[in-house]
Order: sequence, then structure tokens, then C-alpha cells
Amino acid sequence: MSIIELRDASKNYHIGEIETRALDGVSLTVEAGEFTALVGPSGSGKTTMLQIIGCLDKPDRGLVLINGQDVTRLNANRRADLRREVIGFIFQFFALVPVLDAYENVELPLLLNGVNAKERRTRALEMLDAVGLSDRVHHRPDQLSGGQQQRVAIARALAPRPLMVLADEPTANLDTANGEQAMEIMKRLNEQTGTAFIFATHDPRVMSFARRTVKMLDGRIVENSVENGAGH
Amino acid sequence: MAWTKLWVIAYRDLIRNRRRTFFTLLAVALGLALLIVVNGFIAGVVEDSLQNGIRLQTGHVQLRAESYTDGKHSLQWADLLDQPEARTAQAAALPEVTAAGPLLWADAIMNTREDSVGLLLYGIDPASSLHTPIRDALVAGAFIEANDRSGIVMGKTLADNLGLKVGENVNLTVINASGQPEEALFVIRGLFASGVPIYDQSAIFMPLAKAQAFTQAGDRASAIMIMLTDQEDADAVAAALSSPGVQTLTWRDLNAYLLETMGTAMSFYVIIDAIIMLIVAVIVANTLLMAVFERIREMGILAALGMKRRQITQMMIFEAAIIALAGVVVGGLLGSLAVLYLTQNGFFYGDNAAVVGNMAVSAVLYARFEPVTFTWLAVWTLIIALLASLYPAWFAARLEPVDALHSS
Repeated sequence: MSIIELRDASKNYHIGEIETRALDGVSLTVEAGEFTALVGPSGSGKTTMLQIIGCLDKPDRGLVLINGQDVTRLNANRRADLRREVIGFIFQFFALVPVLDAYENVELPLLLNGVNAKERRTRALEMLDAVGLSDRVHHRPDQLSGGQQQRVAIARALAPRPLMVLADEPTANLDTANGEQAMEIMKRLNEQTGTAFIFATHDPRVMSFARRTVKMLDGRIVENSVENGAGH
Repeated sequence: MAWTKLWVIAYRDLIRNRRRTFFTLLAVALGLALLIVVNGFIAGVVEDSLQNGIRLQTGHVQLRAESYTDGKHSLQWADLLDQPEARTAQAAALPEVTAAGPLLWADAIMNTREDSVGLLLYGIDPASSLHTPIRDALVAGAFIEANDRSGIVMGKTLADNLGLKVGENVNLTVINASGQPEEALFVIRGLFASGVPIYDQSAIFMPLAKAQAFTQAGDRASAIMIMLTDQEDADAVAAALSSPGVQTLTWRDLNAYLLETMGTAMSFYVIIDAIIMLIVAVIVANTLLMAVFERIREMGILAALGMKRRQITQMMIFEAAIIALAGVVVGGLLGSLAVLYLTQNGFFYGDNAAVVGNMAVSAVLYARFEPVTFTWLAVWTLIIALLASLYPAWFAARLEPVDALHSS
């Protein structure tokens, strides 16, 4: 069974009198363990697509099935439950909780999922180790570099062992070295954990990590290609 | 989610903006401290005025002739009590009674070379412990004796206003029981300063026998004034002393005007309390709303991570609770210390107290420590602050994650 299925999903935004079609009858299927890039220029609908897949927003029309469940009919609390249980997020702006240290940020989704204290500690430390931040466990976000913050965000997204991680421009605020390092970590964790990664990007270096590329333009999918021999 | 983590996030969010949190906490603390001081002060003034009135003027129970009308100071025999000694003895025999004695009141005019002033003449039994407060308040000369035929004691403020001293003569005029003017010379034996301006400016005391003779009241009295060990026994004592043709009035009847005025004043102070609490609520709500606006994107992150609206609401309420609890503790302490200081040292109000209606307000106003009232004020401040957090909390919880994440 596909973990994500969009059927003819459309989404319009209204800014004053102006209506903008962000998604225009998009259909897409994503299987478990994929490492997929949504690519396209700004305004092509990548972020809207991620928000709809991530249950942060609802389409105006069409169906969105996550793990076989139609999420368009769920209320805010049920969508929050679904996000907590099966979806991890990585944002362009790192999006750590500034008052929590690296460990506490990674622990937070586990707490929200009701994981017991011992298990939380084990998993949070494991994930921080996996992203190479064992020595920054008790550093607050403002004591970490941009690359380190994004690695904490990766650890946080993966700590609850979600079905999928949605990453919106995960390297946009990183320099080349840190961007590559973040992508390598995501790719490695994708292979190790089997968690699907779907990331929106228009950075060609990031696209080169993807095994599948979905190209978007004006709210539509214009190309859907699988490159088995991804360069990294 | 563990509540402890929500508390931790709430606490750390508050210390992110220490200055704003400090001033909000200070507003809660000062608001409560002000409430405590105002309420402690009002309670002190009410109690002080009541006890002054009881001590100096009304006693706990009074016996009067049926036709005697309060405030008119009639000297007509029909309005006066006969057999005052026997009635005094009957009252004094009751176990609840600590002191009893006859009083004769008459409106009088004191004439000096330069001035004339209206005042209230008290004919008293100088030996009675009823008048210990005046005897103890003597600041010059001596107290009158029962057999003194020409001596009076008067308030020092009145004497100063008229330029009089101990040993000097003063002329007094009254309208006697027959309705005729009566005039006589008296010698100032002593001056008192009771600390209650309304008495110090307008009361003179002379022995009952002389007052009866001066006013032609025979052997009658305006009232028998009775003091009790416990003022709550007033009704029982009044019932025990009731007899045909005699009014028995308790301190509640005799101070009805004061109690009614204070009751009205208290409703006014409840409005002031409400206004202060409303200001505290607005400040708390404003601080939390600012905190929400600053952290809209963070709210979006927490929502994206799966935090429910209920949990976001709780987190905001916890922030308010921390500010409110700390503010209440600090404010309770500050207010209580201020009230304790005012119970010892008071606030000098001076002769202005004489113009506060007909109430026996002291020149120095003392607060009263009212722990139950203060606790309620603290609880209400806490509740109001928490209620004030509901709107910002609701606002934060209603944010759509997608909008919040894209907030700049």
C-alpha cells in the first residue's frame, strides 16, 4: 500500500481579490522508503503539496490518503494526532523550539507521543549521535550553527520513527558543505530506517541526492522520473 | 504530553523576555499590594470609627426615654430618663457589663470675647470608668470631680481655636428644659486630646449634677450608657434591661448611620477592587498576547509536531499562572508588610477627620490586618489573571499551523 496518495488535489489561495491556484488537480503516489525530491521554481506548488501531505493544510478539492486514510475529513485534533504519529517535518528555517536544548528538542515529539522517559532518552541520544551531535546535546539553538540546528531538526523529525519525513527547502539556509552534510545524513537515515523522505527544493545539488524527482510547474506535476542510479 | 515539560517551556518562554515578564509580574504584585493596602486601610478606618463612636459617644447599649429623639438633645423632662442612678445600678449588676453611667446631653454655645461657638455639652459621672478614655486623653490640667460646681474639661483643639487655657473662665449658654436661655461662667479645669477631631473640636464635659442644675433637667438624664466585655452580648443585655417607656438601643442601632455609610463605601471599594483587578487582567492579557504574536511561528512548529490545541492553550495558561503566582506571592508580601506598618504607625489624617460626616474618625488612621480578606483578594487576583490568559491562549491555539509557520 502507498503511504501517500493524492488524487486530483487542488488548492487555491486568495490574497485580497486575487486568486492563486497553488495546486491544480495533482495526483501522486509515494511508497514507503522513497527518497523523493519535489522540484520546480518558486510558486510552482512544492510547499503547498508538502503542507497538504503533512496535514498542515487541506485541499479545496480532491483526496489525500495517508497510509490509506482520507485525511481531508479529519478535524484539527485528529490531523495533529496523525502528524505526531506518522509524519516528521524539517523546515527551511530549522524551526527548533528556542527555549529547549538540542536533546529536549529531539525529545519533544517523543513526549507528545507518550513515549516513556527511558525510551525517550535512548532514542533522543541515538538520533543526536546519528546526526553527529553527541557533543552538543545540551546546547540551545542559539548556541548551535545553522548546519547543527538543521541536524537537530533532522534528529527531531526521525526520533518518533515516522513513516515519512517532509522537508521544505532543507538546505536553503545552509552553506554548500553543511547542505551536503545534511543531505548525506538524510539519505543515510533513509536507507537505515526505511523512512520515506520527500523534500521540496530547487537546488540542483540537492536534487542529485534524490532517487525520484517530481517536477512541478504552476501547480501541476509536469515530470515524474525515477533515477535508480542517483549520484550520492 | 508530560505537564512538567509544558511548565518548563512556559517558564523558559517567560525568562526569554525578562524585562517584560518582570514588569508584568510587578504590575500583578503592585495591583494586589494596592488592593490589600486599600482594603486593610478601609477595614481599619471602619473599625476605628466604630470603636471610637462606641467608646466616646454611644457605648454598647443605651437606655433612653421612649420619646427621646436621637440628635435633638431635648431637655424636656418627658424626653429624659428618670431614676438614672437606679437604672445605672441595675445595668451595672449584669455580668456582661463593664461600666454604666448616666449622661445628659445639651446643645450649648461657648462665648468668648472674640467668638461664639456651638458645641455639645456632656453631663457625666466623672467617677465612672465610662469616661476613662477622656481622662486618659488629658493633656493639660485635671479631670473634673463629681462635686465640682463650675469646672469643665474641653478639647484642646477647641481651646486652641478659641485661644483658651486651663484656669480661664468661659461663658456657656444653653436653652434649658423650660425653653429659656441659661447662661453661666465656668472654669476650664483640663484639656483633652482624644485623637478624634470631632470630639476635640466640639465636646465639653461637666459633672452630671452641675449639668442637671444648669439645664434644669432635675435629676434626670438623657441616657444610661453601658459598656460590655463583648459587644456581641449587646442584644441580650438590651433585652434584659428593657422596660416600659424606655428605649434600649444597641451599638448597631446607635451607629446605624456609620454602618450604613460604611456599607455604601464598601460597595464603592468593591468597584475600586474590580477596577484594579481589571487593570491587572489587561496587563496580563496584553503581555501574553505580545508573547503569542512574537512566537506565532513557534506555535506553528509545535502544532506541526503534533501538539494539540488543548496543550498549546495549557502552555499559555501556565505562563499566566507563573506570572500570576509569583505576582501574588510578591504582592501579598508587599501588601501585608505595608498593612502591618500601617497597623503600627498609621497615617496622619489630622483635623480633616472632623469633616468626615458625623463619624468618629481618628486623626491618625490605622490599617487593620485582615488575613481572610487578603487571602480572598489574592485568590481573586490569581483567578482574574488566569481568566485574562484565556483569550491569548485561545488565540494561540486557534492559529492554523500553515499560517503560523509562514508568519514572519
